[in-house]
Formats: sequence, C-alpha cells, structure tokens
Amino acid sequence: MSAVLDSSGYADRISQLMVARRRARLWRYVRNGAIFALVAWSVEAIVVGDTDWSRINIAGMAKAAWRFIDFDASILLSLWEPALETLLMATLATLLGMFMAIPVAWLGANNISPLGRATYALGRVLMTLSRSVHEVVWALVFVAAVGLGALAGVLAMAVRSIGFISKTVAEAIEDVKTGPIEAMRAVGANRFQVLMFAIIPQVLPVMIGNIIFEWDVNIRRSTIMGLVGAGGLGLALHRQMASYNYGGIATVIAVILLMIIFGEVVSHYARKKVT
Amino acid sequence: MAALPSPSTRPLPEWKRFRYPESLYKYAVLIAAIGFVWWSLDVLRIDVERLPGLFKRIADVISTRYLPPDLARVQQPDFIDAIIDTFQMSYVATVLGLLIAIPLAWFASNNMSPSRRWLYPVSRLIIMTSRSVHEMIWTIIIVAIVGFGMLPGTLAMMLFCIGFSGKLLAEAIESIHNGPVEAVRATGAGHFKVFVFAVLPQVRVAWAGIAIYTWDVVFRASTVVGFFGAGGIGFHLRESVQRVESREVSAIILTVIAIVIAAELLSAWARARIAKAVG
Repeated sequence: MSAVLDSSGYADRISQLMVARRRARLWRYVRNGAIFALVAWSVEAIVVGDTDWSRINIAGMAKAAWRFIDFDASILLSLWEPALETLLMATLATLLGMFMAIPVAWLGANNISPLGRATYALGRVLMTLSRSVHEVVWALVFVAAVGLGALAGVLAMAVRSIGFISKTVAEAIEDVKTGPIEAMRAVGANRFQVLMFAIIPQVLPVMIGNIIFEWDVNIRRSTIMGLVGAGGLGLALHRQMASYNYGGIATVIAVILLMIIFGEVVSHYARKKVT
Repeated sequence: MAALPSPSTRPLPEWKRFRYPESLYKYAVLIAAIGFVWWSLDVLRIDVERLPGLFKRIADVISTRYLPPDLARVQQPDFIDAIIDTFQMSYVATVLGLLIAIPLAWFASNNMSPSRRWLYPVSRLIIMTSRSVHEMIWTIIIVAIVGFGMLPGTLAMMLFCIGFSGKLLAEAIESIHNGPVEAVRATGAGHFKVFVFAVLPQVRVAWAGIAIYTWDVVFRASTVVGFFGAGGIGFHLRESVQRVESREVSAIILTVIAIVIAAELLSAWARARIAKAVG
C-alpha cells in the first residue's frame, strides 16, 4: 500500500487526472448553467412577457371552466353521424396509408432497396417528411388542394401514417432471416417473387400489429380533422365552438373520448391476437 | 427391396397456394373489404368519379396558387420572433410536463408503484386521459379558459407531454432488473429510497432518451397550437390562411417543415450521443 503511494512516478498522472476532473466539472457547470438560463429566459418570456396577468384571475378562470360542466345532451343524437364518419375516415386513411407505405418501406430498407444507397436515401427522406409534418398542417395542405370534406382528411391522415408504418416495416425487413430468401433465389425466383414469398410472410405480423396501432392513433387524429375543414367530429366541435355552446363542446369531447377508448380497446385485443 | 410404384399417367393437379375452403375465405374477405370501402366512400360523400384526376388537380392548385412561396413573409421580424416563441413554448412545456410525469410514471409502473391500491389506478387514469385527448383539443379548452397567448399553448402541451412521456417513462421502469431493488429494500429502505437508489440509476439513460424524444414531438405540436389561438408560428399560419394569402401559407408551411426536421436531427444526434456515452 505504502509502496504505491511513495512511488513518485504516479504524481504526474494524478495531477493530470485532477486537471481533467476539474475541467469536466467546469464544463458540467457551464452546461447546466446554460440549460437553467434557457429555461429561465423561456419562462420569463411566457409568464411575464406574453401574459397579461391583470386580465387573468382565479374567479374568471373558474367561471370559464365552469361553463364546460353544463353537459348538453340535446345534441347527442345528432353526433351519431359525425362519429361514424370519424371512424370511417380513420379506417380508410389507415388502409390508404398502408398501400402507400409499402413502396416507401421497400425503398427504405437497406437490404432490398432496388438501387442501393440512392433509393435508400429517398425512402428515408420520404419517411422523415411524412412524420415530421403535423397532421393539422397536412390537413391544411389537402383542404387547399382538394377542397373541404372528408377526402382531405383521409388523404392527410394517410400521408401522415406513411412515416410510421414504412419505418417500422423497413426495420422489420432489415432483420428478416436470409434462409427463405436464399431458398427462393435457389429455385430461380426473381426479385418480386422473393419480396412476395420470402420477405412479406416474415414481416406480416409486425406489419399488421403496427397498422392496428396506427389505426388507433388515426382515430385520435381524425377527431380534430374537422377543425380545419375536413369532416367528422371535429366539424361538430367547430360548430359548437362557433356558437359558443360550451355545454355542447363538452358533449362532443365526451363522445370523442368514448370513441378513443373504443379504438384503444379494439386495438389492444386485436394486436394481442396477432402477435 | 419393394418395387417402386409405377408412375401414374394421370396429369398432376395444378398447384394452388390456397385450396378450396381457404380460397373461398380469401375471396369472401376481399369482397367484404371492397364492399366496406365502397360503403364508407358513400357515407363520407367522397365522389369516386372525381378521384382519377385528383393528382393533376392537386398539382394544378399547388402550382398556380401556392408557388412560388412568399419567402419575404417568413423573414419579417415578427415571424422570427414567432419561431423563437415556438421554441420557448416547447422547451418549457417539456420541462414542466416531465417534472409532473416523472412521479406519475413512478406511481403508474406496475412493479414499483408505492401504493397499488390508490396511486396506481389514479396515475394510470391521469396518464391515459391526457394521452387520449388530442393536443389540439387541450389547446382549445385551455384557450377558452385562460385566453390567447403563449401561456395556454404551454399548458396544453404540458398536458400532452404528461400523457405522452408518462407512458414511456413508466414502461422504462417496468423493464428494470429486480436485483438492485431487492438489495436496496433488504437494507430497510422505504419506497422513496428504493426509487432513488435502485430505480433511478437503472432508468436514467432510457429516460434521458425519452425526454429528448418528447421534446421533439412537443416541438412538432407547438408549431401548430397557434392555429387554435395559442402563440407561436401557428398564429401567423392561421392569419395567412384566413386572408387566403396562399403564397404566404406555403412559405410558412415550408418553414415549419424545415425547422421541425432540424429539431428532429438535433434530437436524433443528442439521443445517439447519450447512447454512445453510455456504451
């Protein structure tokens, strides 16, 4: 023990370590200080700079919140049709998104991408583009392009779904077992036949599970499509908002919650059955 | 050695992947699916005859009305301020949301919850409710209560963040190893000490990744909450949409896409760095 401490050869090393440790600690302080300053600056901008506190008081907020409690049962029956529309929009959008996702997954899986790196990069860009744009923005784009109505909502959600479905399918394709592929090649199958009979059967369970999951997410999305003019329960919500019928807003939101719970339960059991 | 049976002269039946009963089910399902799609197009009042020319019409509308984008609009100082506002809202909402979501995730994890009887179902319910409601509906409700501005946007996204990250954080807790937990518990530690010394060190890395990912998703939402009356870029988007200034709209949408992709790259880089630092 004492021999180790006495040997002066370690002194240099120890002082080096001490310097490195001090530098690391300094860097940590600077980093944490910067994060704290960023939060403080943002909080200041939101709470002090942008909020007119003289207009916000507890009583006013309580009164505003209380307006929502007044449940308006009279519109319940008229919500049946938009609720059905919402469900059908989500289903059609998921189906369409699935068909559009298949070629993208084919491009974006690096083991089967047809022209190597170039088409792989294209597939990845398409996935990122589809996922990184919020569904409201997609809905605005399609409402502008095809006019008001359910079609715009279906197209918007389908395009938004491509990213998730194709990314997970491409990842599943990248981990397929090569045995069946080699067996198909050995009997003289072409690329398309290999895809159909060696790759798709292997990724099908993952694909179906993810499509059911995406359907569940699309129900949630399709409840707000109407707010920007694309049909469904969102349109009913928009009408209640436009007429300042707060009880009606609460009713529509309650129906939306019921639908989402329905979607979640169905998707939970369906996915359990598939996987 | 038995004699081989003489080869039959009867022609082999044609090979089919699906034989009689299966082929029937297959066609029945296919017809039912087509029927369903047809019925839903009818319910949704989508005009099938107009579908074939759809892509050409979309291209026409975009090229005549939306192009070229009015890039001067997105370089004005008020728009630059809105981008900074968007960034600040997403940042604060994520930090606040995570502060609330972390204890909730602890209570809502089925292996570590301190009270399975009360805290577990209550925190599950909170996380599920905040997940189920779309972030735009939260925005509408909170704008109706608090008024316009950045504060309602931040609060709405905070609620969204609780549900989104709470579920992922709880799942991370549910996948920890039980050894350290039992070791710490054997020393007589209470629930809180077990959480700090046995759970937290195991989920630290996963949680850091989840936190960054959550910020990324919240940032994407914060670019549009303004559309329903909260602050940020969405507010300008709404203005341009209502004035039917299509070229401004396309410029704003392109800017949104660009900054969201930039944020996504930043988040992917940070997550990769964390994964590498831990090894």
